Amino acid sequence: MSGRRVGAITRRLLQGFRRDRRTLALLFVAPIVILALLGYLLRGSSTAPNVGIANEDTGPLGAVVAGSLHQSSHIDATDIDASAGDSKLKDGSLVAYIVLPANFSQQAQAGTIAPEVHLEGSQPGQDSPVLQALQQSLISIAGQGNNIHFAPNIHYLYGGPNFDTLDYFGAAFIGLVVFFLVFVITIVAFLNERTQGTLERLMASPLRRGEIVVGYMLGFTVLAVIQSIEVLVFSLAVLRIHNEGNVFLIFGMEALMAIAAVNLGIFLSMFARSEFQAVQFIPLVIVPQVLLSGVIFPVSSEPGPLQWLSNVLPLTYAVNGMRDIMVKGADLTWSSLQVDVAVVAGFFLLFLVAGTATLRRRVA
Amino acid sequence: MSETYAVNVDDVSKSFGSFKALNGVTLRVRQGEIYGLLGPNGAGKTTLIRAICGLVEANDGSVTVLGQRMPNVAVLRHIGYMTQQAALYPGLSVEENVAFFAAINSAEAGVKAALELVHLYDRRKSVVSTLSGGMRQRCSLACALVHRPDLLLLDEPTVGIDPQLRVQFWDYFRQMAADGTTLIVSSHVMDEADRCQRLGLIQYGRLLAEGSPADIRAQGGSPNLEEAFLNLAGRRES
Ligand SMILES: Nc1ncnc2c1ncn2[C@@H]1O[C@H](COP(=O)(O)OP(=O)(O)OP(=O)(O)O)[C@@H](O)[C@H]1O
Ligand SMILES: [Mg+2]
Repeated sequence: MSGRRVGAITRRLLQGFRRDRRTLALLFVAPIVILALLGYLLRGSSTAPNVGIANEDTGPLGAVVAGSLHQSSHIDATDIDASAGDSKLKDGSLVAYIVLPANFSQQAQAGTIAPEVHLEGSQPGQDSPVLQALQQSLISIAGQGNNIHFAPNIHYLYGGPNFDTLDYFGAAFIGLVVFFLVFVITIVAFLNERTQGTLERLMASPLRRGEIVVGYMLGFTVLAVIQSIEVLVFSLAVLRIHNEGNVFLIFGMEALMAIAAVNLGIFLSMFARSEFQAVQFIPLVIVPQVLLSGVIFPVSSEPGPLQWLSNVLPLTYAVNGMRDIMVKGADLTWSSLQVDVAVVAGFFLLFLVAGTATLRRRVA
Repeated sequence: MSETYAVNVDDVSKSFGSFKALNGVTLRVRQGEIYGLLGPNGAGKTTLIRAICGLVEANDGSVTVLGQRMPNVAVLRHIGYMTQQAALYPGLSVEENVAFFAAINSAEAGVKAALELVHLYDRRKSVVSTLSGGMRQRCSLACALVHRPDLLLLDEPTVGIDPQLRVQFWDYFRQMAADGTTLIVSSHVMDEADRCQRLGLIQYGRLLAEGSPADIRAQGGSPNLEEAFLNLAGRRES
């Protein structure tokens, strides 16, 4: 082994980077940005789940338990009317609500208390603080000396006791996997067109820019659709991910995400001079979206400024839409799903127009 | 006036940053003419050809092709452009490449003739990435003329092509010109230059001399075309 020859390779490598400022920037700036984002996300997310309390007890004990729940640091309790509970779970303003029934104090005297616990149920991590808080408040009554048995009645709006982490993440990941892979393939393929010189030929042909972009889009859409079907079948049939919704609706949402990814890939490939630079868009585009779109951390638990950022990312809407369909059984009559579909479709059109416009400018 | 010329380049300048790749070039090419662009590396030949087909937008001056001011997408249907590097899809076969360029020009019928012309009909099923350099160049030429354009822009078309085939290419170019096609060919090869009806010598983005090969010989003061060129180029440089 010759030190000089090894040195030549090392030097050649570093020389190349010297001219590629963007790669250097990514190498040194991206880790800080990603770690900072993650730190802010995890440390800054404080909000305890919102829980409604409906105290219907005609006796004294209900007020004691309710008061103790208000004190709990595990949850953020508000008094509600039991009849309004379900709609508040549906619109997302509550994660759970607890009903202390009219005969609550009598139940206590009889030795078995059975408060009703209504859980939204779609987000696995959020149930335990509610149950924990309730348990602690009940202990405060138990402290008064009686031998009391707890038998809370637990109801799930979505999911259920068997709903596991995969069911929650799976819904989001089905869309994410398709989005990510289609994006990577498109950005590299379109870049090849430029580096192998064929784009110049296309530009000197009667092809319109829009025809090039739409042609690409359709070509990749064929692949993306096949991939979407494969992912969906595997998720539902093999992994048995919980699904409440219409399979065709899931597929439609997946396909819409894939088409948006194709157009995003075409658009961003205009800003890359090499495959190397194209691949850099992965951490830049994908990582923040995975962190902020609610795939892993619910958007509602993010610190305020990050929520704002989350709300302008296309993936946030796509993920939310997929969960609404698969976990909650949403269909197109749901206004929240209509919004999600419209926003994802809007981004797809935006990327399409942006890609076409950039193609024109890049060649002129 | 411009209607009488297939290509009319009028005082065109193009800068990349502070570097002037084209510096006030004016040239006119008649319909059915074979016009040779000659000049050393970096002279601006490729940039001029790209300006003619509208890929490069001039900072100054104007380009008119077949009566239309460029850039103009409608005219592109009538232009064939063979890029300097064989720009092909390496994963597709020869025939698939040619058929693709035929299709985007709505000229699917010409594929077989184009393949036969470049002697690749027998190799039409070969994947481009497995071809020799000269074969790729031939495939690239087939892609440029498959739609029988009225104006054919050839950027060093015969680089890497063996002598026999080169002679056949030039016979074909002449025949195309006789049928009314206008050809602009860039080259470094002097015996090729001799086959053009008119030549333009480019250096440092300027047109140094223009005329028939005989004119150039006279201007350069040498019966040898290569020497005449060197004389003309050297005169400016000093
Ligand atoms: N996109 C570009 N950006 C910056 N400079 C460019 C660009 N394109 C061309 N140039 C410069 O313009 C000059 C002319 O280039 P051009 O490709 O036209 O030369 P050429 O005559 O075709 O040379 P060759 O015989 O080597 O093909 C060169 O100095 C080149 O570096
Ligand atoms: Mg050139």
